[in-house]
Amino acid sequence: MPPELSVVLAVVTAPFAVAGVTPLLIRSLGEKTGYAGAAVAAFCFALLGTQYGSEGTVELAWIPSLEVALRFYVDGWALLFALLASGIGALVFLYSPAYMHGESGLARYYAALLAFMGSIIGIALAADLIAIFLFWELTSLCSFVLIGFHTDDASSQYAARMAMLVTVGGGLFVLVGFLLLAFVAGDIVGPGTSAFDLAAMLDRPDEMQTALREAGLFVPVLGLLAVGAATKSAQVPLHFWLPNAMAAPTPVSAFLHSATMVKVGVYFVGRVRPLFASLEWVVLFATLGLATMTICALLAVAATDIKELLAYSTASHLGLMIAGFGFTSILGAETGVFHLFNHALFKAALFLIAGIIAHETGTRRLDELGGLRHDLPVTAFLTAIVALSMGGIPPFSGFYSKELLFEATVEASHHHDLGPLDWLYPAVAVFGSIFTVLYSLRFLALFFGRQPDSLDHVHRPPVILLVSPAVLAALTAVVSIDPELAVRAIVQAGVDATAVDPGAHEMHVGLPTSYSPAVGMSAVAIGSGVLAYPFYDSIHRSIRSIPRAVPPIGANWWYDAITERLTDDGAWLASRVHNGLLRTYATWTLTATCVLALAGFVATDAAVPPVGFDPASLTGLDVPIAAALVLSLAVVAGLAVVTADSHVAGILTLSILGFMIAIFYILASAPDLALTQLVVETLVLVIFLLVVEEIPEYYEVSLGRVARDAALSVLVGATAFITVLLTTDARPAGESAIARYYTEHAVPEGGGQNIVNVILVDFRSFDTLGELVVIAVAAISILTLIVMRSRGDESSVAIEDAEGGSANESHESHETRGESE
Amino acid sequence: MSAFVLALVVGALFALGTFLLLRRDLIRVVWGLAIVSQAANVYLLAMGGIELGGFETVPILAGHGEGVPETTDPVVQALVLTAIVIGFGMTAFALVLSYRVYEEHDTLDASELGDRE
Repeated sequence: MPPELSVVLAVVTAPFAVAGVTPLLIRSLGEKTGYAGAAVAAFCFALLGTQYGSEGTVELAWIPSLEVALRFYVDGWALLFALLASGIGALVFLYSPAYMHGESGLARYYAALLAFMGSIIGIALAADLIAIFLFWELTSLCSFVLIGFHTDDASSQYAARMAMLVTVGGGLFVLVGFLLLAFVAGDIVGPGTSAFDLAAMLDRPDEMQTALREAGLFVPVLGLLAVGAATKSAQVPLHFWLPNAMAAPTPVSAFLHSATMVKVGVYFVGRVRPLFASLEWVVLFATLGLATMTICALLAVAATDIKELLAYSTASHLGLMIAGFGFTSILGAETGVFHLFNHALFKAALFLIAGIIAHETGTRRLDELGGLRHDLPVTAFLTAIVALSMGGIPPFSGFYSKELLFEATVEASHHHDLGPLDWLYPAVAVFGSIFTVLYSLRFLALFFGRQPDSLDHVHRPPVILLVSPAVLAALTAVVSIDPELAVRAIVQAGVDATAVDPGAHEMHVGLPTSYSPAVGMSAVAIGSGVLAYPFYDSIHRSIRSIPRAVPPIGANWWYDAITERLTDDGAWLASRVHNGLLRTYATWTLTATCVLALAGFVATDAAVPPVGFDPASLTGLDVPIAAALVLSLAVVAGLAVVTADSHVAGILTLSILGFMIAIFYILASAPDLALTQLVVETLVLVIFLLVVEEIPEYYEVSLGRVARDAALSVLVGATAFITVLLTTDARPAGESAIARYYTEHAVPEGGGQNIVNVILVDFRSFDTLGELVVIAVAAISILTLIVMRSRGDESSVAIEDAEGGSANESHESHETRGESE
Repeated sequence: MSAFVLALVVGALFALGTFLLLRRDLIRVVWGLAIVSQAANVYLLAMGGIELGGFETVPILAGHGEGVPETTDPVVQALVLTAIVIGFGMTAFALVLSYRVYEEHDTLDASELGDRE
């Protein structure tokens, strides 16, 4: 069944449309806007539900000339992700009004949250590389606004900037990867299909891979996309932005961590998996994922804040999914898809529970919390389900997907020759899982043990806050009891879409009934975790001591070092090139222009004399005496301007220069230019003299810079000299077609014999109108500068008259030209 | 006519204008601006191919209807004409701005003005 374009478009655009009108909703609904958001999310969820079981591509033309379209591809994997985003989105919106009660800036909050959800649904469904990139960066922008929600809080700003820098930076890697991919795909997907069509590429994975390898682009594209996915999905060593992102309001964290932002990378890795499945893929993603899983599990144990613990655990679980997709076997796809599904449910619930705890106790510190089961019994019950699922304890849902990972690690060596990685992968997976069990138990322990004395006023949460986590916990419970139900409903379809050889396998999960290596691994991981739990505090302390002893081991340290260095260097550079002095700006601009122009000539070999170049033509003997005289007089006048020691002398010599140029125009067969130049020069002379009369002489005082200025002037002059030589030389001989056109059409169409005038007032009259506007604006500005001043005196009035008159005259000079035809 | 001589003149004018642009006296900066725009105009005209001559080459047609002669490039002339007028507006504005700056700050020293920011 093919999907329907109208439905898909409605799902993608509805969140953005409502985001646009959020300020109006806030005005009429106030804090209840969250429920409207929930309705939008539920609407998207329901519409997506109608597409259940459909598969295919629909598209809406966007930039046809570049073959870019709003192309959407619906299959099991896309639907799974889009349904999670909208479903959990609805629960987060439902939770928000109570949690955000009394906060300001709700319009921004809900608008960004809606746009965020829309972008995620967009990524899930988009099949055009350009559209994917667009939505990809939109999620980064929305998350920036959401993480930085508390705009006056420094840590919030820091976290938002960090998330933006890392994820947008990663997006740029993705863009380059996409362009390379499209470059190769152009020949494969064939004419009639856009080179940006990801769905078409996924139809021919083997041909794509062969073509990429032949072009030598397989590893570069894989690496670029991996960097992008790793930044989004917080893989080591780019994981550090995710724990900082807990500065966001808790509903945002729940959304960001469970079903949206960080899953985008995983989703995308699953999406392109069939294209890239190979030994390189296994080594890259399995290693990346397992390293992240282990390191972030360790960091989660070291966390002191409940949200920090959950944030590191998210990164760790993302590592698990990436590792799952990293293994090319069908088990790998099952791990990735099923764990993404399970994690979305339990992690959203856990964050919402963390929000309830923070809301009701006023603290998020692990060591200040405990024994909460007395005050929050319902929450405690919900936490038990989801925390044990997170820990992968049977029979909770996380157990099943983790079992699949263990099986995939064990079986990896059957598919590829991995050398020592063969046993290292299972070992690392078990080692990381021990810590997963540890921090899951630690989170659950918030509700048990003795209640610290500082916690004396724990309120019962309002029912509305409990609804969302309860729904999620109930779903987790259902998956725990009957995992096959979830598999049949949605997971199998996702597995089919991400599998390397689709349709070959039917997925089965359940409690193990006999011994297998994976069962043994689970037993070791859970057993060690439970046994090590009594020593949690000492493990916690020893992990914490490592980054304190060696700061550069933390990725955050590198981020801080690099950004601080860049900021300092930027400030230093600005003080050099942007110091408020005119001459500094002129120096940098002119030097840069000259260097770029000369470098351009050198790079294109333009400076090499062409074949048949006659050096004799450079001797300049063919210059008529009159022109030579006029031009040399102009240069001499220019020299006199430079060396003039009074303003009056300078102005007079400047005028000589201008009049010489005017005479040159006469010699060069340009009578109109000469006329205009004569008028303009006369006016300039008058204005200069009028102004200078009011200004005392100013003599250059510092002579120290003359040499430097002269050097720069010579550089500029030399560049101009070379440019003129090269460009006039490169000009094709004879009349240009455009000049011919104007010459021939001047009389029949313009009705005038002076071609220049006809061009100005007829063919290009809008240009002339623009020019007149410039002159008029200059005249008005001059008037304003002189007249609108409290300290006006007689002389300024005189100048005003001269200016007003001159502006008018220049208009008139145009008119006379027009009339002279 | 020889591109070499033209290039030499344009280069010299650009160099002189640049030197003036870097002065501390604002009035001299305005002169520099004026010289640089003159040089740019000559360069632009040179791009059209300069024909020294008289009646034959001037882009004005002698009469209606007859064969259309080949003249110097009228397009660059139109462009330069516009540039001259705009350059005039710019020079006048820069000059009056300098004058106003002098009235406000009692100095025309660009360095001193920069330090006040």
